[in-house]
Amino acid sequence: MSDAETRGFALARARLRSFDRQFDVAVSVQQPDRYRLLDALPADQPRIARGSGVSYVAASFGANAVSVDMRSFNRLLAFDMRTGLLCVEAGACIGDVQRFLLPLGWYLPIAPGHPRASIGGCIAADVHGKNPARDGTFRSLVEELQLHVPGRGLFNLDTRDSSGLFAATCGGLGLSGTITRATLRLSRPPRALALRRVLVDDLAQAARVLREAANAHVLYGWHDSRPDHFGRGVIHVGLSDDEAVAPAFDASPRRDLPAHIAPWPWSAWNRGTINLANAWLSHRWRRAGIEAMAVAKALFPLNDARRYFAAFGRAGLVELQWLIPHDRFDAFAAALGECVARSQPRIALISSKLFDGLPRGLAFDGRGIALAMHLPAPREISQFAFYEQVGELAVAHGGRPNPIKDSTLDEALLRRAIGPFDAIRAELARHNSGRLFGSELTRRIGL
Amino acid sequence: MTAVVVGASSGLGRALAGELARSGRGLLLIASDLRDLHAVAADLQVRHDVTISTLALDLAREPDPGARIREALIGLPDISALLLPVGLSRSDDDFSLSAARIGELLAINLHAPLAIVHALLPSLRESHGSVVLFGSIASARGRGRNVVYASAKRALDSLYESLRQTHAPDALHVQLYRLGFLATNLTYGVKLPLGASQPADIARKVVARLGKGSFAHHLPRRYGLIAWLVRSLPWSLYRRWRG
Repeated sequence: MSDAETRGFALARARLRSFDRQFDVAVSVQQPDRYRLLDALPADQPRIARGSGVSYVAASFGANAVSVDMRSFNRLLAFDMRTGLLCVEAGACIGDVQRFLLPLGWYLPIAPGHPRASIGGCIAADVHGKNPARDGTFRSLVEELQLHVPGRGLFNLDTRDSSGLFAATCGGLGLSGTITRATLRLSRPPRALALRRVLVDDLAQAARVLREAANAHVLYGWHDSRPDHFGRGVIHVGLSDDEAVAPAFDASPRRDLPAHIAPWPWSAWNRGTINLANAWLSHRWRRAGIEAMAVAKALFPLNDARRYFAAFGRAGLVELQWLIPHDRFDAFAAALGECVARSQPRIALISSKLFDGLPRGLAFDGRGIALAMHLPAPREISQFAFYEQVGELAVAHGGRPNPIKDSTLDEALLRRAIGPFDAIRAELARHNSGRLFGSELTRRIGL
Repeated sequence: MTAVVVGASSGLGRALAGELARSGRGLLLIASDLRDLHAVAADLQVRHDVTISTLALDLAREPDPGARIREALIGLPDISALLLPVGLSRSDDDFSLSAARIGELLAINLHAPLAIVHALLPSLRESHGSVVLFGSIASARGRGRNVVYASAKRALDSLYESLRQTHAPDALHVQLYRLGFLATNLTYGVKLPLGASQPADIARKVVARLGKGSFAHHLPRRYGLIAWLVRSLPWSLYRRWRG
């Protein structure tokens, strides 16, 4: 189409990069600011919805697709103070929504770490929050949603939908259409949290502590990644405490982690700095105790991690995240420890969480312990080999990968890790007529 | 009191609506698509608990937009401000437009502001209210692009002078902002010589000065200097300029 024809369609060329910096593609971006612009592009134009663009992997852009940037669709459409139902457009940032809700005595109990993640992104990726075993994943909050599909226009879906489209949209990576709005069920937040630190000597002990604290509002572990201390760490258990007086916390938007973090020119995460950071965190956290924490601070721990991410440099990072069933976790942890001792990979961060849901579609859920590892993007062959070894180990122990975090995953590994992969793919394809929706991520994992 | 924002569903209009709602004013919001209007109105009601009314109006096709707005104001608190951040430009506005396209541009950029001001002037006089017009840097000097758009925007200067000439400063506040580039759907992805201002930044300034006298300003202010330089260029140089 000519410039005159597309003027006002808010269409431009741009280079987009995934949050982990592993994918960098020149694409067309449309930034509609009104509903009729959703229909401005030709109906057969491949596309994918984009929220704030903070997905670790390239979930909101692809080489041959127009990224439909939904940031202007960020309005609160209805809020029932009595029942705790919020209708909100898909481009609203979860941090902004929480800032609106918390003073009114409500909140979204499930929020990813990045405050700029969009509501639509949270649904499409079916993200988890601070304790998925207690709260489930984001789909459990969604009562209704509205989709836009070119040629079909806007239509509403709710949990009673029998066509499978509602289910396919939650965790469907944007393949069923562009989410334009959703009605979400809110919860009452605790007044403050008492964050207890429980020391653990290894990952197996961490799993036991996590299981015992399944009902905590906040529940996650940090673990030492040094081979000689591998797995040692601390479990943070955040319990509701109305008596606790949390330190003042500045929750203003200017403190939010930016969508794009300017990287340092080189990666600062070498073996020396990783050892130092682990030693410092070990010194800081590996002491039992309790501290009061504001709920707003607990919701977005990444706000304090700007320099941490910048320090991965221009090459970026890779996050490996696997959910291992309870009955296989101890064996997996032992094997992983041996693998780390043998390979000596550079791991900047290891964290653990408890899950207690049902694995649906490609969403990251199930019953077990999730381990996440951040590694500087590899320069050495051994670092590459470590990804493969972790993948093999996890699959051998019944592990389930997280496609929205891990940019090393491919179709072959997913097919081995997720039994009904082909059925899931077929179901997503059923709702993605003409393969109209697609991203770099969905291309890579064979959807 | 009610503030009327015409073109309230996106860009500067949406930002002005947000800023006015934040300051607690009741609003009548006008735009062409009810879906956008309802979304903007709902958001402002939820966030600021103010009274918002809406009116869907296609300025390119509505023969008497002023009368429609006057009807919509019945039953609402008195009007205190009329803001007209409406505008449409086309990249093929270079002497190649059909008569229908010229009519559409004139309807939105000139006829609608004129008709709406005419219709609401008696009420605005009664309330000693404000009329806020939005011109463009494009009208600083005519050139081979934005031919119709710039002509219409230049005519708003004349409307501004007419309003000021006939009303004492304390009877009606008349404000004209000649805007530089704004980050809207019309400029998205377009290479601009000076970068685009955020509508929210402009809206904050406009609302802060609402009801504070009559004036014509460039916004951002640096565009005043640019307009002066462009107008000062000798004709022999200006006619060779292809910018």
